[in-house]
Amino acid sequence: MSANVVITGQGIVSAIGIGAEAVLDALRHGRTGIGPMRYLGSSHHELPVGEVDLSNEQMKAMLGIESSREVSRTSLMGMLALRQAVDEARIAHLKHSRPATRVVLVSGTTVGGMDITERHFGELLDGDYTHLDSLRQHDCGSSTELMAAHIGLFDEATTISTACSSAANAIILGARLLEAGQADVVVAGGTEALSLFHLNGFNSLQILDTQRCRPFDDSRAGLNLGEGAAFVVMEREGDAATRQAHVLGYLTGYGNACDAFHQTASSPDGEGAYRAMTQALEMAGLQPRDIHYVNAHGTATPNNDLSESAALLRVFGNDLPPVSSTKCYTGHTTSASGSIEAVICLLAMRHGFVPANLGWATAMPGGITPSLGIEHHVIDHVMCNSFGFGGNDSSLVFSRQATNAADAALADVDVKVLAEVDIADDEQLVDIRNYVKPLEARRMGKIMKSSLLASLKALQQAGIETPDAIVTATAWGCLEYSERLLEQLRDEGEVLLKPTYFMQSTHNTISSNIAMRLKCHGYNVTYSHGAQSLQWAMRDAEMLLRSGRCKTVLVGLHDEMTPTLRQLLQHLGIEVAPSSFHSKAIVLSC
Amino acid sequence: MEELIQELKERIIDALNLEEMTPDDIDAQAPLFGEGLGLDSIDALELIVLLEKNYGIRLANPAEGKAIFASVETIARYVSEHRTK
Repeated sequence: MSANVVITGQGIVSAIGIGAEAVLDALRHGRTGIGPMRYLGSSHHELPVGEVDLSNEQMKAMLGIESSREVSRTSLMGMLALRQAVDEARIAHLKHSRPATRVVLVSGTTVGGMDITERHFGELLDGDYTHLDSLRQHDCGSSTELMAAHIGLFDEATTISTACSSAANAIILGARLLEAGQADVVVAGGTEALSLFHLNGFNSLQILDTQRCRPFDDSRAGLNLGEGAAFVVMEREGDAATRQAHVLGYLTGYGNACDAFHQTASSPDGEGAYRAMTQALEMAGLQPRDIHYVNAHGTATPNNDLSESAALLRVFGNDLPPVSSTKCYTGHTTSASGSIEAVICLLAMRHGFVPANLGWATAMPGGITPSLGIEHHVIDHVMCNSFGFGGNDSSLVFSRQATNAADAALADVDVKVLAEVDIADDEQLVDIRNYVKPLEARRMGKIMKSSLLASLKALQQAGIETPDAIVTATAWGCLEYSERLLEQLRDEGEVLLKPTYFMQSTHNTISSNIAMRLKCHGYNVTYSHGAQSLQWAMRDAEMLLRSGRCKTVLVGLHDEMTPTLRQLLQHLGIEVAPSSFHSKAIVLSC
Repeated sequence: MEELIQELKERIIDALNLEEMTPDDIDAQAPLFGEGLGLDSIDALELIVLLEKNYGIRLANPAEGKAIFASVETIARYVSEHRTK
């Protein structure tokens, strides 16, 4: 089976336009979409944002959804982008013409339906259950399922939640499913709406600039949050050729590594980023000098841009191609940024230009000098970087033509369970003291402790110090801390939220906490797709083992339940496990 | 000042969830970050929230915090001079 993966469709919804044409026009004319807030009802008017210039009502009208129906903005934007991608690739009728075609949706998100939850959480706490149904859209997986149902084309759907690299990891999973022959068409990307929850959360981390962001500039003072969605249609080259699909580009390489350094900061030498970029180049069979443009993660926080510069200089040395961050156009679209920037890379490659790194004027010590835009620039290979909290770093390489990609067929080997450990009550949790000092555990919520303890015990039983990869499943993430933040928003308004709680509200915190403890720089992802989360994590682990990329994988299922949410879900008739938390760690090998 | 130092120690233990520590375990003159207590950038953000919430002091720039958060004593001095509540 040919492992060459091609892109045959793209959809994008962003602050600089709806659709690839509009985005291309804005990029070529240096037009930013960052400005005063219009749709998010926040009191922080001092913070510029990159909002999609459509109200929820307008999006519903475009999608043919009844205006009275409440749908999360995350799902609405995702549906718009999916529709564009599916239409461009002309795959809507594929299922009828080729009945055996397996079409999979892989979406990345962290916010999910938080925009709806935060709207109604106060009234729900007060016992007013008028909008109880809104909770059905809270978790990440349900936002993906809602999009899949609207498009009505998918045999399977899943959700990846690795904070700001979610969409890049969705694209990587898409390629792996195609290479492994587990899917015939994958539509992959991400979607993320702005919410009061994460705007105030980022604000409490003091990394939001009150002016337009200036990536890689000496005066940079933080990021501007943005929102949006983007998806790409991916197929094997042979299949695309058979149905004479128009090819927008090849995904020739990808890398996923964990910085394993800190929950909210990148390491000074950018180890995770370096590994992700190096892996992507290696897989594509390319040398650094072959890359003609790098779309940097470039958030404009003091930490990211310095760390990414260090990593870029380590990888490219004297062969550094033009680099720019396009977050100065779209804002930082967090979980969607990986696919939004992938689409931007495809546009840059096909139309032969480098988008300008707006707002840059002064070099920073130790920093790269970004491109201020090149109108005519032949790009054969482009690299797209996406780094997330917890050090979930990913890098993609797109090319105009196939490169010498390695054969990625899966070997027929037996996958063995070396150890399995469950932690589900407070008594067992006391054991954490034997592994972690109280000072080190000061910020860990219950689920962080149980996941770490179960993982350390399982690895100990398996006789493995550091696994090659960590694949985590969680339907709800760190629910306890998220709920406390929602309560704080209700009780105190938009004040500085407790940073400790916010940094643990991203689902991938669990997996990266384990990676940090184990100094595990290997592949690291988190699935958040409801009751199917573990199933997907196991499937991923098995693909890693059977592809020969890994010898050992630590898989985990970690979830917790709060008394408040338990009560609300029971009113909804949703069954909830009896324990307040449950961690399952499994060590797999082949 | 002694009273404020004691109050700050209690609030720091609470805000940073320093389990198993009492105010007496914290030397008011010892460095809080790096070699001393070993706090990090997230703890610094927690201290910024603590100052805003309890003393009405707003630090707009995290870099400002470095000198202020050197020790409990330096925090106490800054609070006594800048508190608005």
